[in-house]
Amino acid sequence: MHARMRFLLAGIPIVALTIAVPFVNRAEPRIFGLPLLLAWIAFWVIVTPAFVWGLGRVDHRW
Amino acid sequence: MVNAVSSLGIVFTVVVGTILFALFSLRRIAMSPQEYIVGGRGFGAVFLWVLLAGEIYTSFTFLGAAGWTYGFGAPAFYIMAYGTVGYIFGYFLLPRIWQIGKERGLLTAPDFFSARYGNKPLATFAALVYAVSILPYVTLQLSGLQIFLTYAGYGRVDAQLGAIISFVAIVLFVFATGLRGTAWASIIKDALVIGALLFVGLAIPIQFFGSPVTMFDQMMRAHPSALVLGSATAPKGTIWYVSTVLLTGIGFFMGPHSVAAAYSAKDASVLRRNAMLLPVYQLIMLLVFFAGFSALLIAPGLTGTAVDQSFLVVVQRFYPSWVLGFVCAAGALCSLIPSTALLLSAASILAKNIAGDLFSIALSDRNRVILTRTLVAALGLGALVLWIALKTTLVSMLLLYYNGITQFAPAFFLGFFWRRTTTAGVATGLIAGITLAVFLASRSIAPFGINPGFIALTLNVTLAITISLLTKTKEPAI
Repeated sequence: MHARMRFLLAGIPIVALTIAVPFVNRAEPRIFGLPLLLAWIAFWVIVTPAFVWGLGRVDHRW
Repeated sequence: MVNAVSSLGIVFTVVVGTILFALFSLRRIAMSPQEYIVGGRGFGAVFLWVLLAGEIYTSFTFLGAAGWTYGFGAPAFYIMAYGTVGYIFGYFLLPRIWQIGKERGLLTAPDFFSARYGNKPLATFAALVYAVSILPYVTLQLSGLQIFLTYAGYGRVDAQLGAIISFVAIVLFVFATGLRGTAWASIIKDALVIGALLFVGLAIPIQFFGSPVTMFDQMMRAHPSALVLGSATAPKGTIWYVSTVLLTGIGFFMGPHSVAAAYSAKDASVLRRNAMLLPVYQLIMLLVFFAGFSALLIAPGLTGTAVDQSFLVVVQRFYPSWVLGFVCAAGALCSLIPSTALLLSAASILAKNIAGDLFSIALSDRNRVILTRTLVAALGLGALVLWIALKTTLVSMLLLYYNGITQFAPAFFLGFFWRRTTTAGVATGLIAGITLAVFLASRSIAPFGINPGFIALTLNVTLAITISLLTKTKEPAI
């Protein structure tokens, strides 16, 4: 359980920023005015700290 | 000429001011190797954040990323993604590097190889690859510095002389202060860079287009294909993007100065917190993309290496000299401050791993600091001479840095997280990986659009695991 949780918390943002990117390789729809591809990458950059925070919780580091 | 004097005056004042600020802020000037090379392992979360940000965001981030945006468009987005992926790996890796560093009193990146694998030839090989690949990386920073000074001087002053003078000043500075000086100077550098990027990334699109959103409206009409990646196997297409983000994300903390920064933390939680929060800093890359796209719409037609200077062209043409001065000052610090961290790590590697471990020279603390400082000065001078003598051919030596350093990653990751890892496996993988990476990259071979470094890393990991399974493990050192 613990190991699977860590795997998911680390893996989801990595997959979102790599293998998932070819599937959102479009300029439209625009999100907040940004082309979809750029908005997708920016979104995952913003939420990654939450995933790493979750990792720290699972590991009892904070 | 008045313009050139005022903007160059600002650059000069900022560089001198940064050095003075750092000198006054230092409470003690270090003089044990622990103090001089890894800041006495005393850096807290904020100070380490500043140091890491100071090392990671170099003049390449500034010029190269905007240049890629201008020249290629969407492939530049990989720069925002790979750092973020790098920090996720860093959450697992950095605390382990810190821990073994603390327990064994490690100072340099090759020290890790001695500590984990207990193998002198492997550590020496790592030391040589690190040391040789750092010098061209420093000369790249010198070229960046020269570009900023050329623009600040409106092309009317000898920027090479200016670059030499400011570089000598910064080398003397790190000679005197060590890693703590680099961290203090990074505070000013970071503040100025954020200010300059807010300006070029927000003020320029607002003034010329109304807002970044309307700037993208114009991009959609004028260059729609620049906003997406090319097809799967195209050069810089989607396969290239995925393999490059994975490769550079895995290799993100493999630079010898990054390993030294991990040693310098006060405790492991400082590193975990930085891994969590540093992606926020990646967001400023958005501003760089805005600046690059704006420059493409405002000043089209630049080609070749001139694209790297696209946003400087805009600032120089349309804004007063003091604005140009501050933007160029931020850029100059982006070249100078990471250079200090790079020179320091190269000097410490030569002093500790080559002179000390191999030839038993300068083993006492006092002599080791003296030798490291001497080497900082000598390597600084060497980088300067290399840069003046062979400016263009050095670009190919950079391939060794970008493609070679990442190949150290399996030695770290497997070494920490797989007990069966053996010296023979890691060494074979490493040597094969570096050879293949440099060979493919130097011939620009990229089958199916895959980044050549990624192919080499795959070979490296495969060999490291296979040969580790075939050879016997000694009792693991950690």
